[in-house]
Amino acid sequence: MHRLLMLSLCAALVSTVALAQAPTGKVTVITSFAKDVTDPVKKAFEAAAPGVTLEVQNRNTNAGVKYLEETKANNQVDLFWASAPDAFEVLKGKGLLQKYAPKASGIPEKIGQFPINDPAGFYFGFAASGYGIMWNERYAKANKLPDPKEWQDLAKPVYYDHVSIAAPSRSGTTHLTIEAVLQGEGWAKGWGTVKAMAGNFRNITERSFGVPEAVNSGQVGYGIVIDFFAFSAQASGFPVKFIYPTVTTIVPANVGIVANAPNKAAAEAFVEFLLSPAGQQVLFEPGIRRLPVNPDIYAKAPADYPNPFKDPRLNSMIKFDVAKSEARNDVVDVLFDQLISFQLEPLKAATKAIHEADAALAKKDNAQARALVAQARELIAAMPVDEATASAKETTAAFTGGKQKGARQAELEQQWAAFAKQHYAQAQAKAEEALKLAK
Amino acid sequence: MGGPHVSLALAAPRARARRTATPGQITLALGIAAFLALFLVWPAATVIYVAFTERGGGAFTLVNFVDFFRTDLFLRSFWNSFYVSAMAVAGASILALPLAYITSRFAFRGTVLIQTLGFLPLIMPPFVGAVAMQLFFGRNGSANLLLDDWFGFKIAFMEGLNGVIFVQSIHYFPFILINLSAALRNIDGAMEEAAQNLGSSGFRLFRRIVFPLAMPGYIAGASLVFVKVFDDLATPLLLNVKDMLAPQAYLRVTSIGIADPMGYVISVVLIVASVAAMALSALATRGIDYSTVQRGGGGLARRRLRPYESALAYLTVALILLLVLAPHVGLLLLSFSTVWSFSPLPDGYTTAHYARIFGDSSLYIKNTLIYASMAGLIDVVLGTAIAYLVLRTRLIGRDALDWAASAALAVPGIVLGIGYLRAFYGVKLWDGTPLAALWIVIVLALAIRRLPYALRACYAALQQISVSLEEAAENLGATKLRTVRRIVTPLMMGGILAGFVTSFATAAVELSATLMLVQSNSDAPLAYGLYVLMQSAAGRGPGAALGVIAVVLVAVCTILSHAVIERGRAMPPAGH
Amino acid sequence: MSNRSTAANHAPAARVRIEQVDLSYGDNHVLKSINLEIRPGEFFAFLGPSGCGKTTLLRLIAGFNHADSGRVLVGEKDISGLPPWKRDIGMVFQSYALWPHMTVARNVAFGLEEKRVPRAEIGPRVAAALDLVGLTGLDQRRPAQLSGGQQQRVALARTIAVEPKLLLLDEPLSNLDAKLRVQVRRELRELQQRLGLTTIFVTHDQEEANTVCDRIAVMNHGVIQQVGTPKDLYEQPANLFVANFLGTANIIEGRLAGDGASRAFEVAGGPKIPIAADRNVAPGARMVFRPQDCTILAAGEFSAPDRTAAAGTVTYREFLGASVRYGVRTGSAEIAVDCPFHAGDTLHEVGTAVTIAIATSAVRFLSD
Repeated sequence: MHRLLMLSLCAALVSTVALAQAPTGKVTVITSFAKDVTDPVKKAFEAAAPGVTLEVQNRNTNAGVKYLEETKANNQVDLFWASAPDAFEVLKGKGLLQKYAPKASGIPEKIGQFPINDPAGFYFGFAASGYGIMWNERYAKANKLPDPKEWQDLAKPVYYDHVSIAAPSRSGTTHLTIEAVLQGEGWAKGWGTVKAMAGNFRNITERSFGVPEAVNSGQVGYGIVIDFFAFSAQASGFPVKFIYPTVTTIVPANVGIVANAPNKAAAEAFVEFLLSPAGQQVLFEPGIRRLPVNPDIYAKAPADYPNPFKDPRLNSMIKFDVAKSEARNDVVDVLFDQLISFQLEPLKAATKAIHEADAALAKKDNAQARALVAQARELIAAMPVDEATASAKETTAAFTGGKQKGARQAELEQQWAAFAKQHYAQAQAKAEEALKLAK
Repeated sequence: MGGPHVSLALAAPRARARRTATPGQITLALGIAAFLALFLVWPAATVIYVAFTERGGGAFTLVNFVDFFRTDLFLRSFWNSFYVSAMAVAGASILALPLAYITSRFAFRGTVLIQTLGFLPLIMPPFVGAVAMQLFFGRNGSANLLLDDWFGFKIAFMEGLNGVIFVQSIHYFPFILINLSAALRNIDGAMEEAAQNLGSSGFRLFRRIVFPLAMPGYIAGASLVFVKVFDDLATPLLLNVKDMLAPQAYLRVTSIGIADPMGYVISVVLIVASVAAMALSALATRGIDYSTVQRGGGGLARRRLRPYESALAYLTVALILLLVLAPHVGLLLLSFSTVWSFSPLPDGYTTAHYARIFGDSSLYIKNTLIYASMAGLIDVVLGTAIAYLVLRTRLIGRDALDWAASAALAVPGIVLGIGYLRAFYGVKLWDGTPLAALWIVIVLALAIRRLPYALRACYAALQQISVSLEEAAENLGATKLRTVRRIVTPLMMGGILAGFVTSFATAAVELSATLMLVQSNSDAPLAYGLYVLMQSAAGRGPGAALGVIAVVLVAVCTILSHAVIERGRAMPPAGH
Repeated sequence: MSNRSTAANHAPAARVRIEQVDLSYGDNHVLKSINLEIRPGEFFAFLGPSGCGKTTLLRLIAGFNHADSGRVLVGEKDISGLPPWKRDIGMVFQSYALWPHMTVARNVAFGLEEKRVPRAEIGPRVAAALDLVGLTGLDQRRPAQLSGGQQQRVALARTIAVEPKLLLLDEPLSNLDAKLRVQVRRELRELQQRLGLTTIFVTHDQEEANTVCDRIAVMNHGVIQQVGTPKDLYEQPANLFVANFLGTANIIEGRLAGDGASRAFEVAGGPKIPIAADRNVAPGARMVFRPQDCTILAAGEFSAPDRTAAAGTVTYREFLGASVRYGVRTGSAEIAVDCPFHAGDTLHEVGTAVTIAIATSAVRFLSD
């Protein structure tokens, strides 16, 4: 009680001061953005708001959320600044953000089908990013691989063992990519696409940046990444290319003010700066390469810079349902981990068997074998839970450590893993049988 | 090398534990106990208790451990961790044995250089080290691109569990090298001569006499490698191997499993397994610890090599050093390269990366030096005190201090990091800043994490000092405290310094605990700077440059300390 | 060591010849032109203070040190170029060097295994060797579980089990307590006699060397000072070092006076020893005699003609039981005098004036 009183007193004090004069002092931001992104922004912001120092704490998105949660009793952080909108949804849900109405003008309501700002006013988009496929040209040339255009292309046999992705449970951006595919193609078909691609995965990295790093250095040919990774790599001279598939989404990267921010005035100033033309223009820096949310700024963009407001391809992209995504956030991540990340070997073995059977069938057709291969594909695509169950309270509660009794996370995980393992083994058996028939 | 003698063997029964405790000793023991309780046990407990609570109720339960053994993934992870650790011990032994043997048995030019370089793999900065390894040994790294070009095949150095074994062997083999070298040096030369006199020579002599006598040192090093590999999460994760225990704990605790007990259950399993490994090695060396030089003998005689033997020895050493230092060479190349992608060597070279980090890095370097040296200092003070209590007093529970401090090795860095936040964030200073926001907390976390290394070194040093030297001082009127200050500490200096070096060097590149505890960029150490840089394509070169600076910095400190140790050793030995 | 067993069947004892051996470590000339012959079956000692080169010479014979020049022959074979493991020479180390990771039996069996003795023979030979040193029944112990004396015997058993041509003992008694030392040295001698094994014994203790060895080489500063039986060395030391190192000797400075028949060695303000005409005395030589070659004359007693008398004052007195040692200052010299003690004798007090008599024929004139 006492502490609460103190806190509100402090808050009141801070806001009175803020009204009276320009913001000063230290403003602390937790961000998942690399130094290459934060440094130019910090420099520009501190120039625009003399007297304010931007204190950058770099954590990955999940660790940042976790950190705010652990320290909320005595919060010292003013801002949360990251890509994935769903992380902001989580923070909003836990009451760790505070409302604000930005004064900046010239920013439209939506980018593609996605609202730029949180309709409830807790976080604000300052840059847009789209998801797609990045590849290393030298690698592709050495292995004589064609350029992919769609997600489904990555499921083709030629790409076997050449593709990399970050685990959606570890990377907010990859989570959105998977969610975009699921929302664009529907739950069952979407997972089918994801798993078909996953059969070609070389590895699944633990950090978002692990994928572009592997593609940049040529250890892996193809990566499923957010666009700016590819753009900034290109700007650094790496021989990489990038493409947006049809089914993708452009989502904003966001900034939000943390509840009980110690320096609220400066935090607001930072938000305003990011959304101002000066702040937007910083995004063109070679190390950043993100898409501004203010359409007018593109006039000053470097040559060949993608413009989501003009590009018809990007405009026709799917509508992304943030609420739906947030509800099943954990379930999708855990499903991906249990069905794909931790079962990658059996999944790849089954996929390889299917590829081989397909190749044999292409030479010498056999109806029975074809049916077996189709069954194998279905076995791989099969899901232990349907869309409704995935979003149901009983399922999601297992992952929040809620106070109510119910299924334990470990129990569900073991069920799903066993399901996947069994199905992949069956799929492999069927594909091998088909191969024998086709020979 | 001057040999940070790091080992895990825990207190074996001591022949000459005499004396009863003085009030000063009791106070010291209580102080250390309080320190360990406050900065190790309590923070770890705030995280780990979750493993024993029931979902929804918070009541005590063991059902989570049942879940652990019911889950295929966890069992698979457990066996993988076990397998990888055991194989890494084997791999590290293969690398360490020839180096230790050649440098301690033969008059060999460059022994000091080899032993210093042999220490370097321990100082591999996070992230950039792995990137450099991939560029050399990855599927499309230099080695494989050349192999493919010349012979049309590739070797999967870095794939799956074998990749983890490969990298861990290279990374941790210095622990075996250091301990084995120290043990070999401590063998009485007469032991070997007696065997030669009876007709034994060459490898048979090594196998039957020399190696068995060095066994305690070898076991100490091997158990350290085992535990470190068992608990390490960075290497498997960077190689994208997830089905091992430490990565599983980390992945769960830092993502969807945060609220779930399983992450903490795995942490408990990690701690139990590590302590079990340590206990086993203590048991294995019990009664065979004859590491001290016996009466009348110097160390092993160093034989002069014939020309062809010399060539063979140099070749072996060169090959091993080339392999274990490849990551550092890669790092150096990377720090000077413009673009390095899918090619045996970089496209071009530049010094721009160094220019870019020049401004930032001085802050990181300053912080790292302060943190790592303070942590090292705390460690050797605590290590000396604990070693003294264990070896020289009969205090009840003194072994518990030893075990508790050693168990720190097994507490995953991330668990300690979260534990510190939970334990100290609520503690506010006079101006409202949380205690956990002070940089000293990073120092404490590093000190706790590296305490086992320093403790073992101090322990070994004290073990080799005859009690009679202290008795003589007391007989001449020195109090216990003054005896420790004037007799024990100077005699232990070599060991203390060795402990300091190990703690300092490894703390300087530690990431896992610091990542959670760094509160602002101005307080950040080097490892954090690396982490921040290595999140973008443009940061790769500067990150590598920072990594090179870190390695050079730590290596210089290490070499300086060795010079001091060697000078201390050059003093005429007491007695004979 | 036990008498119960019979000696193992050894090869005939070997002769050892050391010819012109030199060894330096940098500027430190450790062994200088060493020439020695050790007879078959002889119990031979290298005696000297620490740092004299005796252990270096022993290790050179064993093959652990290498001569810069010269050679070592065992039997008629030059072994200088052989590594230690091909020399067939047994050595017992000062520290015993028992391997702590092996039992007593495994320690003793080691050399036999290395020499590829058929497995079936090893057991009996180990048992025989242990029996020889009286350690039957302790074969499964670890070295750490044995007393110092027992460890010493294991070391010995381990060495003789391989039936070496030559046995080297490096200060084997130095780690034993005084009483045990006397017992063990007697046993060592007995065993050596029984085996008829040529044996070289390194020690800095003259009493040890005198009691067990047939002949002794006294060494100092890397040079052999004198070789001879204990009696020879004591009676006729070749130089001051030998005289001083073996037993107690009065070594007194003085000057040569007169010549021909009146030649004498004068101690300033003290005795004046006549020198026989045929005796050669090097310039700068000193007068040397044993304390027992001098007596204190009772009051009114006169010196015999074969003695030289001198007046002096008692400076100290040590009661030794069988004798009393007095220090008597006479002129510039202080002379130690041993007087036999018989019950009822009265002793001279310190400070009293006495007359001493030196047996003239026992006096030798020696240089460095």
